[in-house]
Amino acid sequence: MSQRSYYKRLILQYCAFALSLCVSLTTGLAEGVYDYLTEEELYGDIEEQPTEVRDPLESVNRLTFKFNDFIYMNVVKHIAEGYQNVTPDAVERGASNFFKNLGYPVRLAGNLLQGRIKGGWLETERFAVNTTLGVVGVFPAANRFDRLQPLKSEDIGQALGAWGIGEGPYLMLPLLGPSNLRDLFGLVGDRTVNPLKEPYSVIGDSRVQTALGVSDFVVKSPTLMRTYSQMKDGAVDPYSSMKNGYSQMRRAMIQE
Amino acid sequence: MNLRVNFISIIVSVALLTVLPVQANERAKLVTTMEATLDIMYLDAYKDYTSAQRQDAVRAVVEDKYDLEVLIRRALARNWKLLTVVEQTQVRNLIDQLIVQSFVDGMAGKDRPILDCGALIEVTSKRIEVPVVISFSSGKTFNVLYRLGLLKTGWQIYDIVAEDVSLVSNYRQQFDDHFRKGNGAQLIEKLEKLLKQEELDVSTIIL
Repeated sequence: MSQRSYYKRLILQYCAFALSLCVSLTTGLAEGVYDYLTEEELYGDIEEQPTEVRDPLESVNRLTFKFNDFIYMNVVKHIAEGYQNVTPDAVERGASNFFKNLGYPVRLAGNLLQGRIKGGWLETERFAVNTTLGVVGVFPAANRFDRLQPLKSEDIGQALGAWGIGEGPYLMLPLLGPSNLRDLFGLVGDRTVNPLKEPYSVIGDSRVQTALGVSDFVVKSPTLMRTYSQMKDGAVDPYSSMKNGYSQMRRAMIQE
Repeated sequence: MNLRVNFISIIVSVALLTVLPVQANERAKLVTTMEATLDIMYLDAYKDYTSAQRQDAVRAVVEDKYDLEVLIRRALARNWKLLTVVEQTQVRNLIDQLIVQSFVDGMAGKDRPILDCGALIEVTSKRIEVPVVISFSSGKTFNVLYRLGLLKTGWQIYDIVAEDVSLVSNYRQQFDDHFRKGNGAQLIEKLEKLLKQEELDVSTIIL
C-alpha cells in the first residue's frame, strides 16, 4: 500500500469514527443511554418514600415536646454548661468512658438477643480489658487493640426491631425524649438487665443508686444537648424534625 | 493492522475520557467546596467577617459549584406544587438562607474539623455517593454521606445523610406535617420568623 493511500484510508476511518460517534451520541441521548435523572426520579416520591412515622398521639406528644424543650433549655442546658465549665476535658472523657463501660450488660443483651454471639463476646472482652487495664473503665484501654475496636451500640429495643416487631406509635416521653412503643418496652428491658438500676439492682443503698443515676445523667447531658440542638436548629418544625430524625436513626441501627 | 489498532485505541480512550474522570472529579470538587467553606469559617482572612458576611461568602462558594434548589425541591417533594410560582421562589430563598445560617452558626466557636473523604461509590450511572468523615479536635467524629445525581446541569447534591439521618427526608417530614394543616403563605411566615429569631444560641451549639 502506498503512503498516500494509507493516509487517505486513515482520514476516511477518522471521519467514519467521528460520524459514528455523533450518531451514537444523538441516538444515545434520544434513547436515554446518556440520560439524566428525570424530574420524577429526582423530585417525585416514587424512588424514595418519605420516612413514614405513625403518630396518632401527635397532640399529646407535641405538648410533651414543649414541656421537654422547656426543661432542656432551662435546666439541662445549664447543667451541661456548668459540668463542662468545672470539669477538665480529660476528667469529662474519663467519666463518660466509665459510664459507657457500665452499659455493658445492656449491649451484651442486645447482641445476644439478636444472635450476635461474636458481638457479645467482643463486648465482653472490651468490658474485661477496660475494667482491668482501663481502671474501672475510665480509660478505653480496649481501643488500643485492633481486634477490640468499639462496636455499634446495641440495646433491647434494637433486638425487638431485629425480630420484626413493629415500632408502634411514636411517643414523646416526658424528660426522656423521643421513643416509640417498641423502644419503650426495650427501655424497660434495658433497665431489667442492668444490675446497677432497679428493679434488679445489686446496689442496696438507695442513696448510692441515686448518686450514680444523677452522675450518669450529668455526664451524658452535654451529648444530650448537642444532639438535641442539632435536631432543633434550622428546623422548620422542631417536633417533626425530632420525630423523623429519631425514627431514621433507630431504623438504620436495626438494619445494621 | 495499524489502522485497526489506531481505531480501537481512539474509541477506548474517548470512552474513558468521557466517563471515568467525570465521576472521579466530583469527589475532588466536593472536597474542594467543603474546604473552601471551612476556609471562610477559620482562615484569618475572614476573621473580621460578621455572621451575615460569612453566610454570603459560604453561599457564594456553594452556589458556584452546586444548585441548592435540587435539595430544597426534593425536600418539598409533592408540596412544591402546592406553592405558587412566587411562593416557590420565596421558599427556595428562605430555606437556602436557613441552611447556610445553620451551617455558619453551627461551626462558630469550634476548631476546624478534618475532612476524610472516602472512595466514591457508583450507585448507578446517574447516581454516586461520597462518604466523608468529619473529625473535630474534641475527638467527636461524624459520618456524612453526600448523594449526587447526574442532572442536565451536571452532578448535583440531591441528599446529605448525616449519621444515618437524611436531610431531605427530615425536611420532607417537616413540610408534610406543615402542609397537612397549613399552606404556602404560612410556611413563608414560619421561615421568616425562624430567620428573624435572635442568632442561634451559640453556647448550646458548641457544647
